[in-house]
Amino acid sequence: MTQVTRIVGRSVPRMDAPGKVTGTALYAADFALPGMLYGRVLRSHEPHARLVRLDTSRAARLPGVRAVITAPDVPDVRYGGSVKDERVLARDRIRFAGQPLAAVAATSPDAAAAALAAIEVVCEPLVPVLDVAAALAPGAPLVHEAWASYTALPILHRDRNVCNRARIVVGDVERGFVEADRIFENRFTTSSVHQGYTEPRAAVAQWDSSGLVTVWSNTQLPFEIQTTLAEILQLPPSKVRIIVPGIGGGFGGKLRIGMEHFAALLAMRTGRPVKVMTTSEEELTAAYPRQPAIVEVKTGVTNDGRLTAREARLWFDTGAFAGSGPGVASVATLMLAGPYRIPNLLLEGFAVYTNKTNFGSFRAPSGPQANFAVESQMDIIADALGLDPLELRLKNIVREGEEGPTGQVLTAVGLEECLRRAADAIGWRDRRPRAGRGKGIACGWWTTTGGSSGVYVKINPDGTVALNTGAAEIGTAALTGAAQVLAEDLGVQLADINVVSADTLSTPYDFGAQGSRTAFAVGNACRAAVADLKRQILALASKHLGVEEHALALREGSVVGEGKRTTLGELARISQASGGGLIAHGTFVAPPTPYDAKRVEGHVYPAFHSPSFHAHAADLSVDAETGEITIHRYVVAQDVGFAVNPAAIEGQIEGGVAQGLGQALSEEIVYENGRVLNANLTDYKMPTTLDVPRVESILVQHPTLVGPFGAKGVGEPPNIEPPAAIANAVASATGVRITTLPITAEKVALALRARAT
Amino acid sequence: MTRIPLSLIINGQTHEVLAEPHRTLLDVLRTDLGLIGTKENCLEAECGVCTVLLEGAAVNACILLAAQCQGRAILTIEGLAAPGQLHPLQQAFIDHGAVQCGYCIPGMILAAKAYLDENPEPDENGVREALAGNLCRCTGYQRIIEATLSAARALRASPSSACRETAR
Repeated sequence: MTQVTRIVGRSVPRMDAPGKVTGTALYAADFALPGMLYGRVLRSHEPHARLVRLDTSRAARLPGVRAVITAPDVPDVRYGGSVKDERVLARDRIRFAGQPLAAVAATSPDAAAAALAAIEVVCEPLVPVLDVAAALAPGAPLVHEAWASYTALPILHRDRNVCNRARIVVGDVERGFVEADRIFENRFTTSSVHQGYTEPRAAVAQWDSSGLVTVWSNTQLPFEIQTTLAEILQLPPSKVRIIVPGIGGGFGGKLRIGMEHFAALLAMRTGRPVKVMTTSEEELTAAYPRQPAIVEVKTGVTNDGRLTAREARLWFDTGAFAGSGPGVASVATLMLAGPYRIPNLLLEGFAVYTNKTNFGSFRAPSGPQANFAVESQMDIIADALGLDPLELRLKNIVREGEEGPTGQVLTAVGLEECLRRAADAIGWRDRRPRAGRGKGIACGWWTTTGGSSGVYVKINPDGTVALNTGAAEIGTAALTGAAQVLAEDLGVQLADINVVSADTLSTPYDFGAQGSRTAFAVGNACRAAVADLKRQILALASKHLGVEEHALALREGSVVGEGKRTTLGELARISQASGGGLIAHGTFVAPPTPYDAKRVEGHVYPAFHSPSFHAHAADLSVDAETGEITIHRYVVAQDVGFAVNPAAIEGQIEGGVAQGLGQALSEEIVYENGRVLNANLTDYKMPTTLDVPRVESILVQHPTLVGPFGAKGVGEPPNIEPPAAIANAVASATGVRITTLPITAEKVALALRARAT
Repeated sequence: MTRIPLSLIINGQTHEVLAEPHRTLLDVLRTDLGLIGTKENCLEAECGVCTVLLEGAAVNACILLAAQCQGRAILTIEGLAAPGQLHPLQQAFIDHGAVQCGYCIPGMILAAKAYLDENPEPDENGVREALAGNLCRCTGYQRIIEATLSAARALRASPSSACRETAR
């Protein structure tokens, strides 16, 4: 299928690049207002304790300090997306080291820091629940004693420290194991990793005389934050306005409420604008990093490599609050199935409370953890059966028109092409070129999150176009992609389009920059707006030119027909003089993906919309002495549906792989007795220019019927497969199978040594 | 606390400020002078988003006291090119798709400039080492490295395109 296009499908530079390279682009962390105070948050040192007393009197008297607030100063509200289990400030119980206890506002950051140090905290430590095993042990202390009384989504399966158990059941897994010749049981663990955005979370709040609070924040979800903040402040949502000036990276870490509530409460108390911004220590101890996971996978297979059954369980440490956990545990079950045709399934995902930070969503939440387990096991199976890992995958992958695990019918399935092209590119036939060097492959699937998006598109009197969207640009160039779709359909140039975005008062609703959906959904909303605009434009042009509408065509910013011509600018001016201007409201909501409801329980994400498919292949060497890994080549073949902006998509792949290699090789938030040991960027090791190899991208294009021009979501997938691809390549190079993340040199060296003895 | 008078030569212009002796150059640039192109993050010289040039050398403004810069020439991203113009590094970063969220980019470009000023004919390894102190979480660095190498070629072809060298 070839589409002739002018602007989509081309690697045009992103629209906001000039502001970003000249330093004029404004981010929330840069935002300031006259008279602004600086807020800070006092956080618990104890992972689990009874809060006895907070004495703020000395802090409040310090010079420059304008407010000190503790729990009694804020509305007694419990909030949360799926379980309402969290308060702004701890009242009587401390549930993690890092939990907010008090907040201060002062005339300088130094004065605010001094105020924090002057607050006296008296608490009685309790036995902390340190990990999932401790939380699930018989008689384990309850992280939330009143869990049963909390308001929660009725669909969730909750039980004491488990705030959701999501399940998929297909066929009869026991019968499937009977049909198998071999059964493989493996256990894998992964560590918590931080999104690592370079811009700290930041918010500036200001109240006006009408009782409206405006918060400039770097949230990915302004409309969700509006709702949550209104709930916390006990206000109608219309009294809360969220504006996103600009975001310095999010990757899911800026989905949930960050500093907005502290800024709003301190601004209310002081009558002054207040800015609150996190430190690196706060980010690594008290943000929303990826959940650590334990994964157990039992898979039945025939001797010729046909998968007959899988029983798998994945336990997420969700920390002190449910947060994203119940949803991420749901998505995990779809990832445990993998992109494979397995007739019998019993898959469970658990979100488990512990006394740690509220682990959250990080680019393809649940993807890397589940994929590391199931794709590592595919290689274990292949090795045991004497099969080529690529052939084992090709034998079992889902094909066009087949069912996904919950019964959704899969279309636009480009997986075989991804696997074959990635394997060819890496030189798969020579999989173990020499001792200590090997190649690994891993594949997966992922969703394009649905939800709704609205845009207003307006033609300016000079013929340029304003695109007004509720979505925020988090750095992916998704709004450049949406604008390319708009320019394509409207017959204008990309340079003619200006974007206004992410202001809950003035922009139309958008479900937010999450789940690889922005270019997909906003692009589709633009298409709807253009359809409406074209009707308006042609009707007006027909009247103006005296030509029947059917004889008119929209071409390069003009309307032409029967030898006559007018411009969009002229029509906009006519409309402004006579009809209020040319403007359209375009909307899109992803159509529901039908699935078999009998197969799922406790599930908040039962099917993948317009799923994408991908394969990663790595070629690496392992130093036999030190265990150090050198990646020679890394290839990604990703089915993107249709590449709206190929260079921007390749940028997503390169960055997603770099982040995934961090999780695979070096990154881990290290806990000891409930406290983070490496809460700084020296000891939390993100990849640098010296660590990331060149990434080769292959864009596979099997267009989906739903996405604009066939596009699927592309942002999250590249983050999924790196841990499994690396683990498989290390096993290929050394024969040593590492089943825990990260795969550090130390771990590899010890495994090599253990095997030698 | 006593404030001391400081004379800072920023982007070729002398700025007189009063600042407490413990305040960092980053804080003074952003808070007192509104030069927000220099970014703030880790505040312990690990991430590089605050990179500026001090007498032509790349430094982390977050751990440099403003008082240490008394009378010295500082280049921030705002001074890299004349208003309305782009330095070849800036143009190359746009053309090569080296920018995503962009928060690390001002520091990255200035670190690259300091390196290219000393190494007009760089290779990929040299660029990788020069930029190792600047974290980027979006791009995987590939296009940043390509852009830097491309800018080096452009600068060699047309040295005057580097615009005014305000801080040298």
